[in-house]
Amino acid sequence: MAVEVNRRSFLSSLGVSVGAALATAGGAVPVVGVAHAQDKPKGNIPDKPYRIGHMTFFTGPAAVLGEPMFKGQQLAADEINAAGGLLGKRKIELLKADENAGTDANVKELRRLKLSENIDFFCGITSSGNTPALGPVAEELKLLTIFVDGCTDFLFDKAVPNPHYIFRITNQQSADGVTCALGIAQTWPKAKRVAHIHPDYSYGRNAFDHVKIVMKKLMPPSEVVSEGWPKLGTTDFASHITKAIAAKPDLIVSSVWGGDYVAMYKQALRYGMFQKAKFASTIAFGVAPHAIGKDHPEGVLAGVHSNYHFTYPGGDKWPLNKTFVEKYHAKFNEYPNFQAEGGYMATYMLKTAIEKANKIGGGWPDDEAIIALLEGMMMAGPGGYVYIRPDNHQGYKDAVTGFSKNVGDYPFPVLDPDRIITIPIRNITAPPGWPKGDPTSTYTWIDKTWPVVKA
Amino acid sequence: MDVVLIHVLNSLLYASVLFLIAGGLSLIYGVMRIVNLAHGNLYAFGAFVTAWAVGIVAAGASVPVWLALLPAGALAAAILGAILEPTLLRPFYKRAEEYQLLCTFGLLMILEDVLRFIWGPYPLSASALFESFGSLSVGESIYPTYNFLVIGVGAAAAIFLWAFIYRTKFGVVLRATSQNMRMASALGVNVNRVYVEAFTLGCFMAGLGGAIIVPSQSAVLGMGVDALVLAFIVVVIGGLGSLEGALVGALIVGIVREVGITWFAEIELAVLYLIAALVLLVRPAGLFGRP
Repeated sequence: MAVEVNRRSFLSSLGVSVGAALATAGGAVPVVGVAHAQDKPKGNIPDKPYRIGHMTFFTGPAAVLGEPMFKGQQLAADEINAAGGLLGKRKIELLKADENAGTDANVKELRRLKLSENIDFFCGITSSGNTPALGPVAEELKLLTIFVDGCTDFLFDKAVPNPHYIFRITNQQSADGVTCALGIAQTWPKAKRVAHIHPDYSYGRNAFDHVKIVMKKLMPPSEVVSEGWPKLGTTDFASHITKAIAAKPDLIVSSVWGGDYVAMYKQALRYGMFQKAKFASTIAFGVAPHAIGKDHPEGVLAGVHSNYHFTYPGGDKWPLNKTFVEKYHAKFNEYPNFQAEGGYMATYMLKTAIEKANKIGGGWPDDEAIIALLEGMMMAGPGGYVYIRPDNHQGYKDAVTGFSKNVGDYPFPVLDPDRIITIPIRNITAPPGWPKGDPTSTYTWIDKTWPVVKA
Repeated sequence: MDVVLIHVLNSLLYASVLFLIAGGLSLIYGVMRIVNLAHGNLYAFGAFVTAWAVGIVAAGASVPVWLALLPAGALAAAILGAILEPTLLRPFYKRAEEYQLLCTFGLLMILEDVLRFIWGPYPLSASALFESFGSLSVGESIYPTYNFLVIGVGAAAAIFLWAFIYRTKFGVVLRATSQNMRMASALGVNVNRVYVEAFTLGCFMAGLGGAIIVPSQSAVLGMGVDALVLAFIVVVIGGLGSLEGALVGALIVGIVREVGITWFAEIELAVLYLIAALVLLVRPAGLFGRP
């Protein structure tokens, strides 16, 4: 029997909140960074370098997204090495590999890194096309791996449903569409006619599906009046913008990212698109925060891949973020994106697991011990808490999005600090044990368990 | 009604840039019988140079200065072409075509890395120029004024090229070389010079395409390869080596793409390949090609 639920109370039951402060860290949760007084490691630790293979985009259009991932890990590795290395003995050695070589070449490179370079740990990966190919290989090689991104739900839904050696840090893809749609339902609940412009590949399709299913539940009178599927990497959006405007939408939703997005919003300005409709993006400010110009319209829902924007948590509220952003900016002269935070976080989660395992067993822990401690780990990082679910090895972090605003301190717009939207991740992702679904488990979970609200 | 007009303008905008790229490709093939795979990145090079000149070097300057700097990308691409032809391509003329393909393909990839090496992985924009033009009302809609400039340059380039090739002495020499290189050479034409001039002109057109469009879009890595693929569709439809073909092909692709995006969103890319396939089946040399 259907129970009538109204939108406002359902949103608040999901914990969608605007301008909420992050709860302060509890005592038992480990935090990123190198403590001043480190516990002396137990037993004999070899001083052999700990070799990490890091694969991300160093070339090609996606480098703007992927390269900060490496920089984040490099920052963490430099900090750890300056304090003596892992367990005070083993210096981290980073080996770079370029993800731009293509999926087949990446698989070969992963094997080579393990078999010829003898890496101890594999990290990185930006593209959702690559994790489902590399994941099974890392499992086969018994290679301890933390993917920073490559966030497709498909990896742990289908490609590696029972992971042992592989983990992943940043939120999975479905969270993007869901977060964006909840932001829309919260902000513009009356929007009826919705136009979509998404890049024509897995990320765009995934964003479209999840925005649509959430709007079906929370804004039942809404309908899709136009779809545009520009090719990934294009910078010409004239036709897609014209088509969207011609459909007379109340709202335009997009998951176009990176340089493509910069070109799109500049063209959209000249076509008057932002005057004709509200605008919501899953990832506008997520890729390269500093690449967005001051001319970017204010007050649009500017997503950050549901993950992290360097201005949140802001000010002195969350010192872990403040120090991370300062150090990152000092080293690389740019602001970190969510990949940088992910790379940094992954390195410290590994370090923490190694230290805990050493405390229990002494000496250098084997991978099984590290894996056991990574499973279920909760850690406080720059962007808040990351929890690694033991059942699917996926990292979960509360989702964040917000509204574009020009704030005095930066030469580019950031998220309006007074109107940050946060959503507890457990309320927008399929719970453990939920049957694997199509297109994603989260999609079927929302479809089957969320009520259709009354306006 | 005004929406239809905007669709038409969008098609012309796209066709203008495509004609510049494909026209250059076709010109080079017509005269030299070389399929220049590096052509896409000469277009990208033009875009990057203009974006750099307008967006970075003259960032605070005024609109006339930016307009004066706009052709910088075209000139840079022309100079690059004038250097590449005698040094890299000339040694391969006597060899089989595969060597030329390998050479220009290698060049395509090298240029991509050169762009990254010089300007880094981030997109480069000259959008201030695009913005300064504002928008023009078209019925109830508005349309970016700058796009009219792009369409105008595309049309002017087509007229200029036609006049250049059919109304000047150099054009006669060019056509003679293209029809029979040995005979032209026997009659005293300096073929090496014609080749370097044709190649330079082709590169100039590609660079102009990049330079003129970059203010409204932006220069990104990978744009050259995408443009190359589209230029090939244009020349397959129009006929490789024919300038009329490049013009008609660019118009067909521009219109079909606009129609495809608007009414058949799911097959936006496929529809272009379908047309190319159809032309290949019916007229393998292209609509205006010499069989």
